[in-house]
Amino acid sequence: MLKKSSWWLVILVCVVAIGFLVTGCSKKSLVKEEAAGRQAPATETKKEPPPAAPMAPPTVEAQAAPPAPAPAPEAKVEAAPPAAPEAIDLAGLRLQFAFDDYSLSSKSKENLEKLAGWMKKEEMAKIQIEGHTCDIGTNEYNLALGERRANSAKTYLEGLGVGSSRISTISYGEERPLVPNSDEANRSKNRRDEFVMAK
Amino acid sequence: MKKNFLILLVLLLAPVLLSQVLWAKVYIDIRSPSFRKFPIALAPFKALTLPSQDMKLGERGREILREDLDISGFFSLLTPETSPEKTEGAPPAPERGTAPESPDLQPWANLGAEALVTGVITYKDGSLTLEARLYDVVKKELIVGKRYIGEVTDLSRMVHRFADEIVFALTGEQGLFQTQIIFVSTVGKNKELFLMDWDGRNVTQITHHNSIILSPRVSPDGTKVVFTSYKMGNPDLFIKDLRTGEERRISSFPGLNMSPAWSPDGKRLALTLSKDGNPEIYTMNPDGSGLVRLTNHPAIDVSPTWSPDGQKIGFVSSRGGNPQIYIMEANGQNVQRLTFEGTYNTHPSWSPRGDRIAFDASLGGGRNICTIRPDGSDLRVLSANLGKCEIPSWSPDGRHLIFSSDRDGGPHIFLMDAEGTRIKRLTFQRGSDSYSYWIPRMREPK
Repeated sequence: MLKKSSWWLVILVCVVAIGFLVTGCSKKSLVKEEAAGRQAPATETKKEPPPAAPMAPPTVEAQAAPPAPAPAPEAKVEAAPPAAPEAIDLAGLRLQFAFDDYSLSSKSKENLEKLAGWMKKEEMAKIQIEGHTCDIGTNEYNLALGERRANSAKTYLEGLGVGSSRISTISYGEERPLVPNSDEANRSKNRRDEFVMAK
Repeated sequence: MKKNFLILLVLLLAPVLLSQVLWAKVYIDIRSPSFRKFPIALAPFKALTLPSQDMKLGERGREILREDLDISGFFSLLTPETSPEKTEGAPPAPERGTAPESPDLQPWANLGAEALVTGVITYKDGSLTLEARLYDVVKKELIVGKRYIGEVTDLSRMVHRFADEIVFALTGEQGLFQTQIIFVSTVGKNKELFLMDWDGRNVTQITHHNSIILSPRVSPDGTKVVFTSYKMGNPDLFIKDLRTGEERRISSFPGLNMSPAWSPDGKRLALTLSKDGNPEIYTMNPDGSGLVRLTNHPAIDVSPTWSPDGQKIGFVSSRGGNPQIYIMEANGQNVQRLTFEGTYNTHPSWSPRGDRIAFDASLGGGRNICTIRPDGSDLRVLSANLGKCEIPSWSPDGRHLIFSSDRDGGPHIFLMDAEGTRIKRLTFQRGSDSYSYWIPRMREPK
């Protein structure tokens, strides 16, 4: 009983965290749909802002809130504080890679061990590993490189005893940078694997 | 049967007949080593419009033609502010709407021109007419004259058509001024496919996947595009008919389905799949059937490009430790490494003339567009001081390259000739443009 409810809290926190961290559109449209409910105008107003406000999920949520006033924000306020210490910070487990490389550093392995430990406790949890690259080279090569980065993490998790059916992978290549590829420091941040909750 | 034979006969004879026609017509031998630019004059275009509707049509029309002919590289252009002809006192009557029967060509010969283009643009009752003529200044005769009728927004396309007439009449080669470019551009946070004329005009969005779209490649007949889209979550391959807009998913294996390349006969696609655990090159039919695996290596193998004779495939592989260009037979045999300079060479594109392969490389300081001969000799770095340049694609005549560059932010799509000169920025939209692919002239299948 307790376990089940805490699991839901974890999911909720993760969904919120994903909303902030990932620029993946599929996730965002999920959040939008929930908040907008039946009100058609809300979806329209939301279609317009993206070009003006890139990478700003919080504002999207703020805009989404008015049409569906109470439930969404309340749920978040309730959910966040108690679950936070127990929830796993998937964003914090992000793995970094060297240029044109997909091998796991010792820090990456440490993160994957944490993740594997958590996944063994949360037996229902499924994750997707997203492989990302910086913007050097063309995206066709970078998609392949991103896939390799995701597969490196998947293979390591499997080696730690996590069932392969609970881990999916996808490569976004250079299409979903964490930060703009403006200098080498930023490019280095974009060479990464992200973990997100999967259904 | 008899009919077929007749058609065959005509087809067999056509090159012979055609070449004789062309031989008679060619003014500029653009393949000759002693080729020199052909001096051509563009007379100021006359615009016959109501004074209240002065849209500088004449200036605009001549400027579009000047840009076209300049980009071709075949001409030295004479574009005087005023005509050297002494016809000041007697301007043509606007009601007639036609150019004077024959201009006085001697003043143009005196300027050094060997050919002259005149144009008259009439805008009346919402209809735009361009009447353009090309004269041989030396022989003092008309070479070609055309009249185009359309809407006011058709001006650039009318001028492009006449520019093609000029190039064909003087060189015997098909011009490329009516071709189009397909590219990927950002719409909000998504990436969609767009079409534009080769000069960057008439940009139109053609997909609404609300997702990421990459790597569009158009069939040799110009009618279909294959591309990767994350529309259904995974990077899958889609085919879209450019005439009907009809769209279908043709490859959706687990993992990557990407970097399609049409064989020169349009019957096969080379592509990259990672369904077997690692990105490899395959070929298949454009409907997704008949899959054949070509590469078998634990390294990354992506971005195939066919030689114009269909015998070979160039691709990117990291089997040497970092991404380099390789060439193999179209059946996957006999893999040879092509590039040895630079540590990051990607996106090969085989010239339609077969003599060079373009790619992007970390060479010459930063990311640049390079070309190399298919035997690995004569490496050239073409782009310089243009920022990060990537994803080259050849023009159908193999004389130009388009690519993306972040010189002015963006990145945006740029054009240059195969020597790396005559650089022109083509896209001016907000957001970033990439994956430009120069579409072959559209031909109706059969």
